[in-house]
Amino acid sequence: MIRARRRFLMVGGGVIATLGFPRAPRAAQVETVEMKGTARGEHVWFAPTGLAVSPGTTVRFINRDPGNSHTATAYHPDIFDRQRRIPAGAAPWDSGFLLPNESFEVTLTAPGVYDYYCLPHEMVGMAGRVVVGHPGIPGWEGPARNSGDPGSDVLAGLPSVEEIIAQGRIVGEGT
Amino acid sequence: MKSAFILSAAALIFSASNALAHDEQALQVSPPGAPYIQVSDALPLPEFIPGLGTLFVDPASLPAGPFLAYDHDGRLSATIYMTPLEDLQNGTSFDDLGVGSHTVSSVDIYYNAGHPGVDKPHAHVVLFHDEDAKSRLAE
Repeated sequence: MIRARRRFLMVGGGVIATLGFPRAPRAAQVETVEMKGTARGEHVWFAPTGLAVSPGTTVRFINRDPGNSHTATAYHPDIFDRQRRIPAGAAPWDSGFLLPNESFEVTLTAPGVYDYYCLPHEMVGMAGRVVVGHPGIPGWEGPARNSGDPGSDVLAGLPSVEEIIAQGRIVGEGT
Repeated sequence: MKSAFILSAAALIFSASNALAHDEQALQVSPPGAPYIQVSDALPLPEFIPGLGTLFVDPASLPAGPFLAYDHDGRLSATIYMTPLEDLQNGTSFDDLGVGSHTVSSVDIYYNAGHPGVDKPHAHVVLFHDEDAKSRLAE
């Protein structure tokens, strides 16, 4: 049974800025983040781990791991009571479990840093970061401070905002 | 009299549960029947997992299993155990586990980062029941 693709429109606050993006105002309005894993499940990860997009971009998460299920879940108090690590004006999302080749879309409008994780694999560091817009544009909210949630081992695996903006797309090892 | 009854009942329960794990004929073809349930019916996992096949497990035996692994034709091909590394480090042992078949041609042991049902990082211990089993479970 294949679940239908789900779409969640995220309504963010602040002014949408589309000009003056330093490096990577990626032209496409839909960007894809794959959930991947090795054949025997020793390693799992998001690809890319870091992604820079313009405000209003739709991010499509798709499970490309044939032997496992994954989620893309925003760090937010409304979802499993986690510390908020997305802009204050953004609505949180949770894809639910995606079986192989299932996908989920979310449109990111509020400028700032969005951190998310895979529910069953956070403890092995499966997390990712999307940077929407760049510092200086109206409504921008930088990365959340480290308050111990998530643990430092998870945060250590997230690329810095500067790296993501400079490179546009950061793909971790194993991909 | 009462104690004799209790002992008899206990012996019966023990022999019955023992047979569930070791009655080879009953487990050779999918579905294996109660108390085993198909993993993909209870958890968000693919019906056929590449490398593991179609899995059945007695929920009471989680997380270790045994998980009974069937190929696309419903033939029992492997028995799999999943043992969380943290539990082992903390002194938990998993003893006297049942097997789907007493014939074992080879064993694979490898690390798995976790999945629904056994979320913690764990080891997969895979007992293949014939020489062709691994290829039948591959994809």
